[in-house]
Amino acid sequence: MNMLEMRGIHKSFFGVKVLKDVSLTVARGEVHALLGENGAGKSTLMNILAGVLPMDAGEIIVEGKALKHATVRMTEGLGIAFVHQELNLFNDLTVYENLFFSKEITNRFGTLKKKDMIRESERLFKRLGMSIDPTLLVGSLKASEKQTVEIAKSIFFDARLLILDEPTTALSNDEIEHLFSILNNLKRQGKSFIFISHKMPEVFTIADSYTVLRNGEFIGSGSIKDVTPEALTRMMVGESYSSRSFYVPRELGEPVLELKRFSGLAFKDVDLTVRKGEILGLTGLKGSGSSEFLWTLFGALPATGGEMRVHNRVIERNSIRKAMKAQVSLLPPDRKENSSISEVSLLENMYISEHELSGRRQHIFRKREEKRFRDLQQQLSIKANTPYDAITSLSGGNQQKVFIARWLNTESEILLLDNPTQGIDVGAKAEIYKQMLRLAEAGKTIIFNTLELPELQKTVDRCAVFFEGRIAIVLEHEEINEHTVMMYATNAVQAEEGVLQ
Amino acid sequence: MSQEKGITRHQGKTAVAVLQRYSYVIAFFALFILYYFMNQNLSWTGVTNIFRHSGVIGILSLGVGLVIVTANFDLSIGSILAFSASVAIVVFNMTDSILLLFLTSVLAGGLCGLFNGFLVGKAKLPAFIVTLATMLILRSIAQYYCQVLPDFYTGGGNNLYKLASTPAKNTLFSFGNSKFLSLPMVGIALAAVSAVVVYVTTSTKFGKKLYAVGSNAKAARLSGVNTDGIVVTVFTLSGLFAGLAAFLWISMQGSVDPSTTGKGNEMYAIAAVVLGGLSMSGGKGKFLGIFFGALSYTVIDKIIASAKVDSLINDAIKGTILLIAILAQGSGLNLKGIRGKFVKPDKQPEAAVSK
Repeated sequence: MNMLEMRGIHKSFFGVKVLKDVSLTVARGEVHALLGENGAGKSTLMNILAGVLPMDAGEIIVEGKALKHATVRMTEGLGIAFVHQELNLFNDLTVYENLFFSKEITNRFGTLKKKDMIRESERLFKRLGMSIDPTLLVGSLKASEKQTVEIAKSIFFDARLLILDEPTTALSNDEIEHLFSILNNLKRQGKSFIFISHKMPEVFTIADSYTVLRNGEFIGSGSIKDVTPEALTRMMVGESYSSRSFYVPRELGEPVLELKRFSGLAFKDVDLTVRKGEILGLTGLKGSGSSEFLWTLFGALPATGGEMRVHNRVIERNSIRKAMKAQVSLLPPDRKENSSISEVSLLENMYISEHELSGRRQHIFRKREEKRFRDLQQQLSIKANTPYDAITSLSGGNQQKVFIARWLNTESEILLLDNPTQGIDVGAKAEIYKQMLRLAEAGKTIIFNTLELPELQKTVDRCAVFFEGRIAIVLEHEEINEHTVMMYATNAVQAEEGVLQ
Repeated sequence: MSQEKGITRHQGKTAVAVLQRYSYVIAFFALFILYYFMNQNLSWTGVTNIFRHSGVIGILSLGVGLVIVTANFDLSIGSILAFSASVAIVVFNMTDSILLLFLTSVLAGGLCGLFNGFLVGKAKLPAFIVTLATMLILRSIAQYYCQVLPDFYTGGGNNLYKLASTPAKNTLFSFGNSKFLSLPMVGIALAAVSAVVVYVTTSTKFGKKLYAVGSNAKAARLSGVNTDGIVVTVFTLSGLFAGLAAFLWISMQGSVDPSTTGKGNEMYAIAAVVLGGLSMSGGKGKFLGIFFGALSYTVIDKIIASAKVDSLINDAIKGTILLIAILAQGSGLNLKGIRGKFVKPDKQPEAAVSK
C-alpha cells in the first residue's frame, strides 16, 4: 500500500486553473522529489494535501483511507507534517520547549515537568541520530540544526509523511550532508518525504522518485534511477529550455566607458575599458566587491579615487543624477527592495527615471506616455494587460523587464545589471539573456554582475573576475569555464604561481 | 491580446468599483443630506458657510497630506499656524501693510516647514519626534512674546495678537469676510489651493515622485529621484500651507490667540486626510479626497451643533467616524490584495500562467 495517493486534483482561484488533473503517488519509506518552476502548482498541491486549501475535484488517499474535506487538524492526525521554508520555531525558547510547545508535560497542578521533557527530547534525538542539547536556545542553533529540530518535532508527533519545502536553501554544504544523513536514517525507519527543491544535484543525491509539474499540469513521474538531470530540467521548463548557448560573437564599437585606478569602498584600482555593444561579465565570490563596483559606477555608493570616463568625458563621482545624465543606469539586485514601487502603476514604474531627467517640463502627457509604454512593452515582450496594472500583478521576470524598460526609457547607453536573474525561474532567465544579447546587438553596452557561471557563458564577451576588491583577470568568452574562474576568484592561481617561483 | 483591446485607464469600470473609488464624495453627500434634513430651513448662506469654515482646516490638511503621501508625518502645523499668524500680525502692526502681512505669514510658515524638512530629510531624524518638538517650541515662543512684547506690536490684546485698527485692517477684514458669486472668499481659496494640489499630484512629474518616495524610497532613490530633497520640499510646502491658512485666519478673525488658535488642528487635519482615503503608510490616495474629507468634518461639526448636543461630545463622534472610515478602507485594501494575487483568466492568461 502506498503512503499517499493524490489523483485527478483540480483547483482554480477566481477562475484561473492552477492545478489541472494532477496526480502524486508516494511510497512508504521513500524520498519523493516534487519538481517544477515557480508557479508550477507545487505549493498549491502541498497546501491541499496539508488541508490548508480545499480542492475543487479529485481524491486523496492516505494509507488506504480516503480523505475528504481535509482540515489541517485532520491531516496532522493522519501523520502528514508540513515543514515550511520559513521555520515555525521560536528562537527565544529552548529546543525542548519548542518540541513540547502547547503539548507540555505537566503535573496535576499544571507545573511543567522540565526534566521529563528534556529526557524525552534526548531520547528522541538519539533515535534520530541527532546530537543537539535540548536545553539550548533555538536562536543559537545553526540553520541545519533548526531544520532537523523542526523535522524531529513532526516525528515526535508521529508524522509518517513529511513535506520538506526547499529545506536546503539556507544551508551550507556540510549542513546539507548532515540533513541528508538524518533523512536517510528516517527513511530506513519507514518515514516518507516529499522533497521540494530546484537543485538537481540534491535531488539526485537524496530522492528515490520524482513527479514533475508544469503550469499546473502533471508532466511525468518515475524513478530517479531512470532519468538524467538534463531530462528532468527539460520536463520542468518545457520547450523554452535549450542547453545550447545563446551567445553569438559580435563586432564591437569604440570604447564607451574607461576607468583608471577607479576605487571605492570595497574595491580598488580598477582599470577597465568597455566598448560599445559589449557585454562585460563580472563575477567573484560573495563580497569580492563586484557588486559595489557597479553601484559606485552608478553613483549610489561613494567612489574614493580614480577616474571614470564615458565617451571620453570625465563623470563627476558620487551622483546618481550625473551618472544618469551620462546615460549610465543600474538595475540593482533584490527587485522587491530596490526596484519595485508597488503602490504605483506599471506606467509610473517605467517612467520614474525619465521624469527625473525631463523634470523641466513638469506636465505629464498621458497619451504620449501610454504610447511609449506600448512600444517598450512590445520591444521587451512584457506580458502585462494595461499600463495601469499594479507592478505586483506581474511575474518576477516580467517585473524585471519593466525595470529594464525604466532605463531604456531614459535612452540609457550603459546598463549595469547587478544579479538581474535573482529569484526568477529558469524560463524567464533565458528570456532575460535573450533581451541582453538583443540590446547589445542594438548598440547598448552592458556590464553584468552574477555569481552564476552558466549565465556568463551564455551572454558575455569578456568576464572580469574579482578577488578581494581587485580584478584578478579578464577572461575572453572562450576562456570562461568553471575551473578557470574559480582559480582566479579564490586566488588559487597566485598560490600556484608562488609555488612555481 | 492586450494590444487589440486597447489601453484603458483600468482600475475597474464597474459601478461598484467607481463607488468605492469615490467613497469620500459619497460620505460627504451622505453627511450633507443628513445635515440638510436636520435643518429644514437651511439657507444658501448656511450651505456656503460649510466652505467658509472648512478653509483653514482644509488647507492645513492638504499640506499635511503632501507629507503623509511620502510616508512621513507632520504634527507641527497647528503650532506653525499660530506662530506665523503671530509673527505676521506683529509685522502688520509695524508696517500697516497687507502685502507684508501676507508675505510674512507664508514665509514664516515656509521657514518653519523647511526647518522640519531639513531635520527629517537631511539629518534623518524621525519625523514624528521632530515635528512634536517644533510643535512645542513654536507655540511656546508665540505665547511668550505675546506677554513680553509692548502693546504696539501685539495690538494691545489681552493674551492675543490683534491687528491694529487701521483702514488697512478694515480692508483686510472685509476681504476675509467677503463673498464672490455668493461664495465666501476663504472657501474659494480652499477650492483654488485644492485644484492646484490635485493637478500637481495627478498630472506632474513632481507629483508622481511624491507617491514613489512614499511607496519605496530606496527604489525611488536608485531610480534617480532626489528623495532627501523631496522630503525637505513636502515639509516646506506643509509649512507654507500652514502660513497661508494663518493669513486666511487673520483676515477672517483679525486676531490670534497663541495658546489656542490652531491647537489640535494637526489632529483634525490628519483625520481629514484619512477620511479622504490617503494611506498612512504613504504612496497611496487622492488629494481630491482630502478636500471632501475636510468638508465632511465641517458638516459633522454643524450636524452636532444643530442637533443641540453638548459640544463636548463632538470629538467622540469625530473619532468614531474616523475609526469607521479606516475600517472601511482596511477591508477595501484586503479585497484589493486578493484581486492583485489572482488575475482573471479572460484578461491575463499569460501573466497568470508564467507567474
